Amino acid sequence: MEIRIRGLSKHYHAEGKTIKALDEVDLTIPASEIFTLLGPSGCGKTTLLRCIVGLESPDAGEISIGDEVVWSKARGIALPPEKRGLGMVFQTYAIWPHMNVFDNVGYPLQVRGVDRALVRERVAATLRFVQLEGFENRPATKLSGGQQQRVALARALVAEPKVILFDEPLSNLDAKLREETRKELKAFLGKLKITAVYVTHDRVEALALSDAIAVMRAGRIIETGTPRKIYFDADTQFVADFIGRANLVKARVRSQESARTLVECGLGTIACERREFGAGAEVTLCLRPEFIHIVPGEASGDNVVNARIDSRVFVGEAYEVELRAGAEVLLARIDPDSELDIGDAIHFRLDPAHCLLVSS
Amino acid sequence: MEKSRAQLTWSLVAIVGFLTVCPVVMLALGSFSQGLTAFGDLTFDKYVQAYTDPALLDVIVNTVIFVLGSSVLATVLALFLAYLNTRTNIPFKGLFTVLSIVPMMIPHLLFSVSWALLLNPTNGMLNTLLKNALALDAAPFNIYSLEGMILVEALLDLPVAYLIIAPAMASFDVALEESSRVFGAATWRTLLRVTLPVLRPAILAAFILGVVRSLASFAVPSVLGMPGRVNVLATHLYEMISLGFATDYGKAAAVGMSVLVTSVTLIYVYRAFTAESEKYVTISSRGYRPSVIELGGARLPLFAAVAFLSLLMIVLPVAVLLYTSFVPYTMVPSARAFAAMSLKHWHDVLDDPLSLLALKNSLLLAIGGATLGVLLSVFVAYVTVKVRTRASGILESLTFLSFSFPGIVIGVGFMWFFVQTPLYATLWALLIGYIATYLPYGVRPMASAFVQVHSHLEESSLVCGASHLTTMRRIIVPLLVPGIVSAWILMASMFIRELTLSVVLSRPGTEVLAVQILKFSDDGLWGKLSALGIIMIVISTTLVIAATFVGMRFKAADN
Repeated sequence: MEIRIRGLSKHYHAEGKTIKALDEVDLTIPASEIFTLLGPSGCGKTTLLRCIVGLESPDAGEISIGDEVVWSKARGIALPPEKRGLGMVFQTYAIWPHMNVFDNVGYPLQVRGVDRALVRERVAATLRFVQLEGFENRPATKLSGGQQQRVALARALVAEPKVILFDEPLSNLDAKLREETRKELKAFLGKLKITAVYVTHDRVEALALSDAIAVMRAGRIIETGTPRKIYFDADTQFVADFIGRANLVKARVRSQESARTLVECGLGTIACERREFGAGAEVTLCLRPEFIHIVPGEASGDNVVNARIDSRVFVGEAYEVELRAGAEVLLARIDPDSELDIGDAIHFRLDPAHCLLVSS
Repeated sequence: MEKSRAQLTWSLVAIVGFLTVCPVVMLALGSFSQGLTAFGDLTFDKYVQAYTDPALLDVIVNTVIFVLGSSVLATVLALFLAYLNTRTNIPFKGLFTVLSIVPMMIPHLLFSVSWALLLNPTNGMLNTLLKNALALDAAPFNIYSLEGMILVEALLDLPVAYLIIAPAMASFDVALEESSRVFGAATWRTLLRVTLPVLRPAILAAFILGVVRSLASFAVPSVLGMPGRVNVLATHLYEMISLGFATDYGKAAAVGMSVLVTSVTLIYVYRAFTAESEKYVTISSRGYRPSVIELGGARLPLFAAVAFLSLLMIVLPVAVLLYTSFVPYTMVPSARAFAAMSLKHWHDVLDDPLSLLALKNSLLLAIGGATLGVLLSVFVAYVTVKVRTRASGILESLTFLSFSFPGIVIGVGFMWFFVQTPLYATLWALLIGYIATYLPYGVRPMASAFVQVHSHLEESSLVCGASHLTTMRRIIVPLLVPGIVSAWILMASMFIRELTLSVVLSRPGTEVLAVQILKFSDDGLWGKLSALGIIMIVISTTLVIAATFVGMRFKAADN
């Protein structure tokens, strides 16, 4: 079900200062998609999620889920969380320690007065879905982190909510388990075709799980788009830098050509993916390390940059190298079995499609 | 929601503020007034009278020696026991838990009485035994002395000091010691240069709590000090308000002010040390395991010392009371004594209307007081843990204030208040006084229960579609039940044995168990005293066992 948010603001007052947790947020979350709110800590993403679910009251604006307005300052509507019919997975999972798995998962049905036999059946089906078949009578606190996470998911799903919300659900797991659980979650959500809102500060999680991502900063939504759009074709330097490792090079627009924008920078004249900037505009050229393909020796040609290896660090699957080209230092990766060493002259050719220009 | 929370917070500030500030204010007013029923003009007369009293100097000297002596002894013993338990391979470590909990079931008054029965100079049982065995002319020990009081008070404060020091020692990061060893310091040097300094906040906290408790202690000085005319401030105050023809509550208030100020100051110092002690606790996330020191040949002698201590603290006091309740008069255990045993004292006590009244009153106060006290504690803990505004900070400080109250002084303060009201000489006066003085004992377990209830657990229930009422019933209350039960039992077991406040507030008709026992002690009716005392111990032990049982049941539910 579609979620529409209009002009949503929320301010906190602390130590005499006003913090804008949400600043006039407008957002439409499309139905049946996995939508991620991504941003650094304190950007307002969790506040936005808690406003959608009803655990927090905004200061202004309107939220509607499907056809129903659940919150509106102007119209005086404030539907409490228990009336919104949503499901949520909390960061701490919030598994009730005094109940077993069955009661934890069955709770949303029990409080709705669903018939006992039906509760039993639905809980069993949901547990089967999250691959915890037969876990009904286990005490919830005796499960592993990954299992608790699946119980929390089952509880969020069991009452067939209109929307399911995730508040950094993987951040409590260790790195290896997080990766496995992320894949599981992706598989579960892929089968469900449900509207899901997912909050995280982990860019890999966001890229891997989402159909669409909204990047937030300081209570505002900076940019919205598909993972590929956000990664390759960000509009702002903040988003380009936040979503992945990037070399940021100051540049000045020289001219616009049919499909390219030519810029002058410390690397020379570079043809980039076309962006509408006027000639002479100060911009930032954003180069992802994985698209700098190093070849030994010097060369010349369009978009070819000559450089020297300044430093080299072995990180296992690759060498991370720093390349000096004129006054610029660029980060790149080379194969771990490469013969190249510090001081060697190299060159690389930049594909204009991977030369992203963003406003400074 | 916000508004109702603010209302709740401020009404709690008003209630707790009344309970804790009222006796202090009344004590201060009382100390500047002419007399208990007529306040009259403000005057310094009572201060002049109280502080020019020639007896006061002796009393202060005695108090300082008693308080410092017992606190140092308790802290050193606690340090010794905690080190043995957490850091060495001493056998039967379960004994340490028993040592730290069981003495709490034996009321201080009865513990003191049992030592009087064992070591009084005229017919103390141990004294007589030793005198006969070693053919001495006089009794070798006299418990009715400053040394005797220090020993008994130290044994009473030992469990509390142990419960502060042992956890600090258990959570000590061994890497600190190991690095000292690596840099060339031997075991002893490491102990002195690293271990003890790092534990200093915990040790000082234990010591200061010992000072506060012994300063407020009334059971030991009244049973062991007064017969030998060794007065400390607590008994000095008691004499002013209960003995002789002219009871002088004004003078008592004037002296009490100093005791109260000292006590409140110390308790805030204590709070600073415990906060620092928590800062010092440095367990790294990796599985830590303190290295165990091999005691070698010292293992058994050290264990014997601990076992001897357990004998002194647990077995002997209960045994001597039980024995005394059956023999007709004080006599050394012998075939003749066992032949003369009867249930006479038990019959006397159970036929004594005053003892029965005291028992009834104490039970009423324990059940009613604990119930009301826990009810208040639930709200206070909720506000201090979950609301966190400036008002809730005030509430926390107010609650903590009563932790420092010396019972007898606060009793005098309450006396000044109750005498103006119809509550004077009713059980309500005692009930209000009990709750005011023991509120922290209810708030603490409730606060830790609330800390466990993460707000996500509550919110998650709302998102699942449950109303606030259902969330309360199915999530919050079940999670709080263990805290409620342990707070209730802790308060009830405090109230069943309460002495220091009761000796001031209790009037004919509102006698309680401890006051009745003290009366028997003053009259030397040891047999009746022991019988009534055993009844008190049984009630209090039953409560503690019930608490353990309830705790285990809830743990079992988790498994």
